[in-house]
Amino acid sequence: MIGGILVKAAFAACLVSVISYFQYHRRGKQVLLTTGRLAYFFTVAAVFATAGYFLSLILTHQFQYTYVWSYSSRELSTPLLVSTFYAGQEGSFMLWTMYTSLIGIFLVLHSRSKGYEPEVMTFFGLIELALLLMLIVKNPFLYVWESWPGQVASGFVPVNGRGLNPLLQNYWMVIHPQVLFSGFSSMGVPYAYAMAALLKKDYKNWIRPATPWLVLGATILGTGIMMGGFWAYETLGWGGYWGWDPVENSSLVPWLFCVASIHTTLSQRKTGGFARTNLVLAIMCFIMVLYSTFLTRSGVLGETSVHSFVDPGMWAYWLLIGMMVTFTSLSAVLLWIRRKEIPRPAVRQSLYTREMALFIGSTTLVACALLITAGTSSPIITEILHGTKSAVDTSYYVATILPLGILIGLLAGVGQLLWWNRASRADFWKTLRTPALLAAGATLVLVFFSVREPLVALFVFAAAFSLFANVQVGLKIARGNPKFAGGSVAHIGLAIMFLGFVASSKYDRKETLALTQGKPVHSMGYTLTYTGYRAIDKERYAFEVNVESGKQRYTVAPIMYYTSYNDGLMRNPDIANLYTKDFYLAPLSLEQKNDSAAVQNVELKRGETKMIGKLRITFVEFDFPVMQKAAMLEGKEVRIGARLLVREGSGKEQPVTPAKIINAGEQRDEAVRIGDSYEITIAGMHPDREAKENSRVEIAVKDIQAGAHEGSSEGDVLMAEASEKPFINLVWSGVIIVVVGFLVTIVRRGQEARLTAGAAAAAEGE
Amino acid sequence: MKPRIVIGSVVVIAFIIFGSYSFMESNVEYTDIAGAMTKHKKVQLKGSWNKDKQSSFDARSSQFTFWLVDDAGRECRVVLDGAAPNNFELATSVVAKGRFTEEGYFHATEVLTKCPSKYEAQPSELKKTS
Repeated sequence: MIGGILVKAAFAACLVSVISYFQYHRRGKQVLLTTGRLAYFFTVAAVFATAGYFLSLILTHQFQYTYVWSYSSRELSTPLLVSTFYAGQEGSFMLWTMYTSLIGIFLVLHSRSKGYEPEVMTFFGLIELALLLMLIVKNPFLYVWESWPGQVASGFVPVNGRGLNPLLQNYWMVIHPQVLFSGFSSMGVPYAYAMAALLKKDYKNWIRPATPWLVLGATILGTGIMMGGFWAYETLGWGGYWGWDPVENSSLVPWLFCVASIHTTLSQRKTGGFARTNLVLAIMCFIMVLYSTFLTRSGVLGETSVHSFVDPGMWAYWLLIGMMVTFTSLSAVLLWIRRKEIPRPAVRQSLYTREMALFIGSTTLVACALLITAGTSSPIITEILHGTKSAVDTSYYVATILPLGILIGLLAGVGQLLWWNRASRADFWKTLRTPALLAAGATLVLVFFSVREPLVALFVFAAAFSLFANVQVGLKIARGNPKFAGGSVAHIGLAIMFLGFVASSKYDRKETLALTQGKPVHSMGYTLTYTGYRAIDKERYAFEVNVESGKQRYTVAPIMYYTSYNDGLMRNPDIANLYTKDFYLAPLSLEQKNDSAAVQNVELKRGETKMIGKLRITFVEFDFPVMQKAAMLEGKEVRIGARLLVREGSGKEQPVTPAKIINAGEQRDEAVRIGDSYEITIAGMHPDREAKENSRVEIAVKDIQAGAHEGSSEGDVLMAEASEKPFINLVWSGVIIVVVGFLVTIVRRGQEARLTAGAAAAAEGE
Repeated sequence: MKPRIVIGSVVVIAFIIFGSYSFMESNVEYTDIAGAMTKHKKVQLKGSWNKDKQSSFDARSSQFTFWLVDDAGRECRVVLDGAAPNNFELATSVVAKGRFTEEGYFHATEVLTKCPSKYEAQPSELKKTS
């Protein structure tokens, strides 16, 4: 109830804000501006109240709410419990709404001083409005009896939730979605600024306040994307950091548009050209976020995605389409109306200017984005063409993006050199010489050692060239004003990442191994010895493997465990980081020797006696006191035992009671030992309430000594996949350097926007 | 027409053709067992893992073998180069990329598990946890 009301209040306030801001733009009455602003602040307050309320439901285990029941449980640690907030569709939309509203506050303050507030907030408010509408349609506050009317009694409160998918139970789940969604939220800002520019007919100045936001968006979204890659690599055991999966692709595409528009706005600053291009690119940043959301959330990809996307229901499906259509057509119409007014200065562009490099660079980035979009949309395209959905193979992305990557590498170097030496044709070739020669040398060395494919060699050359050129230019700039070196730093990071991509994905080695406990196995120059497993916590086991490489010794301990969440085996790899490479061990299975052979199951009726090996066992009755029945009804821990009489060989008959302990739907065994050699557990219980004499119990008798005996001669075998990822640290360090470069640029462009705010305010007054 | 525009257009058109060619080339059709048997090219075979039949990993050949049931209910043996994909046991359905061999099994180079980032909750489970 409260949740639904809060969402609707936020929606209403947001609607008021959008209308007031827009009316202020048209009529200029001060009261409208104040209303718009206050209504927006109220929206933010209501959104945060909604989120806070939602979080409190999760933290206090209100399992009568379908969402809380579906994704959380009492067993989760507090950080993971908090993360279940966005484990499902509804919650992740709420997270997105929350970050959008939060960014909106800073945007109000920022755009106000630049004279863009009413227009920017009209469009940004519209985004928030659409997201709130989604929360009304996909209500996260449904009760279980509302989700399944007729099947669940009204007022029913489940004892425990289904829990969080063990795959997601990781600290990255706490960080990664938050960063990614704030990245999506920040993509709304360039859209709002571009639309505001069109509304205000100010095609020139908007890029100054918008640039820091563009770079900020690229930083956050880029960080989020690579965090996902790191998560996939480090814990999920997908074997790599990038799989061209729709989910990954769909966050990369808006990022590419964002980066492309950062480059063309640079050009507009200088020559005034690309006014229309910049408007379109800034708009596309957000439209692509919407399209990506549609692709990954609507279920259109069907079976073709590695991830499974549950059909969100007809209303949400059409709302996703509606959002896309609305925002796209809104901007298309506005662009069409203004098409003749947007200035097109006759810019004379020689081939040897930075502007040309920027233009080709941006075009290449957009080409990448479009190719990736086409690939990701393949199920839709093929359904239209052939009537059946099919996905493209990942080879498609490699084949098409690799040549463009070469171009990007070269341009990243050339562009920076041209910027530094605004040069004539002769000078141009001269500046190119040093980095090109260095890069050629480096490439030749690598070709000599390992690189064989011509395109890969070219890619390596392009990356090396970009690296040397940017280091050269970056050092010169840093001597003057370090704040201006952001671009160089980011390009250096990119070049390092490119080299890391080639090394780690083209030259990795892989082998599947059977590691018998205690027996060293040689593989890829390493000596591996599986030493045994140990329990980390109640559920999980670490499998320790000693790794020897030359004189160095490491221990890796990949994790494997059975989870009752979905009756499956969970596996987490472990990595030994050896500076120049990662040694990666992904567990596959543990073949335990003769474990099952030593266990015998037998079923006994009440009063019946059977012989199992040397044991004579009689089933007396179930041990299930009345008090336990009451506990069961209250959902507390319950212990059900089976009273047995056991005699070993010619020994004395003794009463024993193995039991099952049931707590919140989970079971564990309380085993009973007979002498040194047998262990009895309950395998199944079939009580008969009407006729107690028909009650049956199934017990499992384990011959411990038999197992121990066999085990010592032939140990357990750990099946694992070992791989070596050379220079993968280049990828991660490259990412960090790119982010640093972006941050430097944000600081610089932020200061610049403040300085020119006066000029923009003056333009507003005209 | 300026020569630069001509060159630019040629590059763009060439790239579009290259892109479309790669797109078509790498698009691997989805099919069931009957369809996969008749086509002598790489296909994606959709179905689910038959957990009742033996699946095993052969460490010497580094191949994983399992039985796949398609939507039509037909069954076939799938031999995958490499180990069982991660989360194989959790998969609600699997997609094997590869082709049928003359020996009568499906030789897969890749097996994708449709591994839910989200499992659909069922009201029946609700009762189980109560």
